[in-house]
Amino acid sequence: MTDRILFNLIQVLVVMVFAPLTKGVLNRLIEQVQSKRGPSIFQPYRDIWKLFHKDEVVPEQSSWIFRFTPYIVFITPIFVALLIPVLTAYPLFFAFMGDMLGGGFILALGGFFATLAAVDTSNPYGPMGASRTRMVGFLAEPVFMIVFFTVSFVAGSTIPYIVQKQWVTPLTNFFEPSHVLLMIAFMMLILAEAGRIPVDNPSGHFELAMIDESKGLEYSGRGAALMKWGGSMKFFVLICIFLNVLVTPWGLAGKQVLWEVLISIPLILLKVFVLLLFIVVIESSLAKLRLFRISEFMGAAFITSVAAMIAQLFTT
Amino acid sequence: MLDLSSTSPIFSQLNALVGGLFLLSAFGLVIVRQAQACLLIFIIQSILLSISAFLLGYRDASYHLLAVGVLTLVIKPALIPWLLRRTVRQEIYTYREISQVLNIPSSLLIALALTLFSYFFANSLLIIVDGSFAKVNLPIGIAGLLLGAYTLMVRREAIPQLIGILAMENGAFFAGISISPDLPLIAELAAAFDVLIIALVMGILTRTIHENIGTTRVGALTTLKEEPNQ
Amino acid sequence: MILIVILVIPLIAAGLSLIPLGRRFAPAVTLIGAMAVLIASLSVALRVASGNRVVMIENWMSCDGLSALVLLLIALVGVTAALFSWGYVEKINHGNGHEKLRYYYTNYNLFLLSLLAVPLFVELALVWIAVELTTLLSVLLVGFENTREALEAAWKYIVLTLMGAAIALLGFLILFWGLRASGGSIYTWDGLIAAAPNMPPVLLQTAFLLILVGFGAKAGLVPLHTWLPDAHSQAPSPVCALLSGVETTAVLYAILRMIPILNAVPSLRAGTWAVVFGLISVGVAAFLLLQVRDYKRLFAYSTVEHMGIILVATGLDSSAAHYGAVYQILSHAITKSFCFFAAGAVLLAVGTREITSVQGLIRTSPTAGVALLFGGLAISGAPPFAVFLSEFSILKAGLSNSQYIAVGLLALFIVIAFFGIMLHINQMVFGQPNVIPEGVNLPTSCVIALILSVIPIVVFGLYVPGPLHELLHLAANCLER
Repeated sequence: MTDRILFNLIQVLVVMVFAPLTKGVLNRLIEQVQSKRGPSIFQPYRDIWKLFHKDEVVPEQSSWIFRFTPYIVFITPIFVALLIPVLTAYPLFFAFMGDMLGGGFILALGGFFATLAAVDTSNPYGPMGASRTRMVGFLAEPVFMIVFFTVSFVAGSTIPYIVQKQWVTPLTNFFEPSHVLLMIAFMMLILAEAGRIPVDNPSGHFELAMIDESKGLEYSGRGAALMKWGGSMKFFVLICIFLNVLVTPWGLAGKQVLWEVLISIPLILLKVFVLLLFIVVIESSLAKLRLFRISEFMGAAFITSVAAMIAQLFTT
Repeated sequence: MLDLSSTSPIFSQLNALVGGLFLLSAFGLVIVRQAQACLLIFIIQSILLSISAFLLGYRDASYHLLAVGVLTLVIKPALIPWLLRRTVRQEIYTYREISQVLNIPSSLLIALALTLFSYFFANSLLIIVDGSFAKVNLPIGIAGLLLGAYTLMVRREAIPQLIGILAMENGAFFAGISISPDLPLIAELAAAFDVLIIALVMGILTRTIHENIGTTRVGALTTLKEEPNQ
Repeated sequence: MILIVILVIPLIAAGLSLIPLGRRFAPAVTLIGAMAVLIASLSVALRVASGNRVVMIENWMSCDGLSALVLLLIALVGVTAALFSWGYVEKINHGNGHEKLRYYYTNYNLFLLSLLAVPLFVELALVWIAVELTTLLSVLLVGFENTREALEAAWKYIVLTLMGAAIALLGFLILFWGLRASGGSIYTWDGLIAAAPNMPPVLLQTAFLLILVGFGAKAGLVPLHTWLPDAHSQAPSPVCALLSGVETTAVLYAILRMIPILNAVPSLRAGTWAVVFGLISVGVAAFLLLQVRDYKRLFAYSTVEHMGIILVATGLDSSAAHYGAVYQILSHAITKSFCFFAAGAVLLAVGTREITSVQGLIRTSPTAGVALLFGGLAISGAPPFAVFLSEFSILKAGLSNSQYIAVGLLALFIVIAFFGIMLHINQMVFGQPNVIPEGVNLPTSCVIALILSVIPIVVFGLYVPGPLHELLHLAANCLER
């Protein structure tokens, strides 16, 4: 049993440590595709380190929500990391504490507080960005739900560890239409939730056009460091759910041996890297959607997920 | 031909995948705004149709269906766009449809309702007569038909309406290759040429409309009515 | 053999019409071709009337009673419309050059070819293709005048009819599926009648409804009839005659052939469906007739009404009603084509399509006025014209079968339509002329066509010759089984 607790902690550490690396690699790849040199892949670490050593400036009119939010945004992905398969194929110690729906709600909690904090400042751009984030968020919620429902319906359970086996045994299950459609829908969802193109421009500095970046506008010092770190951890967790539950549930540790768990760390990083390449292709070839068309984008994701559900319900 | 019934789960799975993508392309027709993108989605849909025909033909060892697949592949993705490019001027393709009759998210919900309806409809038919591939192809074919009809009703530009009609036929054939695979080959051949003539005639008509009226926004042509103030 | 000849002649005529050999070559070739087709169809009809089915390729191309009747009607209207086109198209084509004229005649011949193919093919898939082709080859004719309204009508026409055809395609595919499921393999009208008792009823019913809705859009049945007034009023008059007179009939023929197939399974109550749909069409058309503003649209709505009447008559399940139905097919085809010729003459005389702009036609252009008056009387069912006889026989058949509700509604709608048509025609033909007579002369060919087409209307209203009677009986039998 101590093994299981240990592996759970290793899992959390992996998420915490490698999340900024993910962001760094992604930024560098995007820049390189655009024929620039790009920042070092360890730049996010340096940023976080720098921010931790700076003073914090807090708006006078803000309340406890503003001060509290960075911690919540930092902790919620860690909670979710306890629940999902990152390194192992068998459930870990805390795995039954919450299922996928619970994980989804916890992530939404972080987003909720970030939005509130953005409104809490007296910066006019904060609430503007917050309302836009909520728009994307509420359009994304149905997609989350339907994806989880379909996957749970197929596997007969809502625990991610049990679900992941469904799509790979036998191998032909991978090509089932509902599976393919779910992958497409969830990919669109990740792009929306993580604020990537085509929903939002992550490297933009123009406050009037910000959607997701606006949540970190007013923070400085430790708050900013935690928001950045928490944001990249949320991205990493979403990718892990996508990869380990839906797309490639291979390469995870099969037995409760420390050595196997350690081996699976570079494997998961490899899988994340391949997905990042895919995201880079999408980012570099599409343009950002105009705001009113985001509802069309999310509508398309919703339809895809419901089509997956229909295909699953009617062909079994 | 080899007897592939032992490996038929793979064919069923692949066919189901093709069906899912076909459904997605039918949804795509409702979503896209640009005429060029409509044409592209139609090409993808036709290729998926021929792949399904190939899969069914290979599994049932039916030269008939393989011929249908080849015919579809030659005519729909290749000849029809070429024909349309020749008859309709290039600039018409750049038209973007800003407003449809319903906005896109509502259209998507209605499209979803239509898909559900076609699944129920197909189920009521499939209870009586069973078919192995028909379980996938029939509902998706009917959905393709209904979604093509919906695109027709909701769009105002000429090219998307044209593509809507062709998509309806695609849907009907997608259902047809699974429920009536041995339709006489003459009929299939004639139907294929018929689709070509559709594209030709509608292309010429679109060009004539563009030349004489100046716009291809055919949904806005509503002068023929019974109202007193014409 | 002769069936192939019937199909090949218009094809050759279409090709020859493209040759630029002077102004009169294309119309002459078309007319000669149409007359040849008429002669051939007459011989086929006579052979069928004497009791033999004419078979070209067994199970693919043959001719029995009903198809011989429809074939004959198509050929007849083809001749009169070609004759009318001779003068008419030249008049409306002023300034556009001879190339457009030649394209008109080529298109006309191809359209005639596709129309002829519908009753000749018995393999259902080919029938669907022939019906599709009738749409495709007539669209450019509908938009011939290149005005904004004509093009709008053409677009609505092609979009709605092709949509209907795709729905009907699904119906045909399901029908084939049912046929295979019951073990049959002959996908013709007769083969289906034989196999129908073994087919799963749900498939039969679904296919029938799909074909009814899909082809009904093309035949002008409500609610998908909205293209019909536009297309049948904006097209040039001879094309309107073909469209209204025979094209809708040919499509309705396909629908009517489905009914005996479904009657093999009495529980499906195909007759009731037909009666209900038919009554709806007749009713809606009758009421819409009252408020129409364009006299060609008037005749178009009358087509919708008559299609409904034919459908109702087929649904009323008795041999007398079926006889009435096929007689109605005959009388409608010849009368409606005459009406559109008359409308074309009026258009040439006064230049406008609006009813309120035309008054005192009998003084400004006597030929057009008299023709229009005759046409209006004939199509609304006044004696002694053919339509009166057919409608009367349908009503009588229904009464003697004690289907009072259907007959009562039908009679009511027919009376409403009668008043509607006569109201408008009266307004146009009599009264003080408000158009200063310019002495517009109708082209001779138009006048000849008018006279030629009025003769059968009067004759068949009084007397049905022997072979024709035989043919009608055989046709009614086809609806029976």
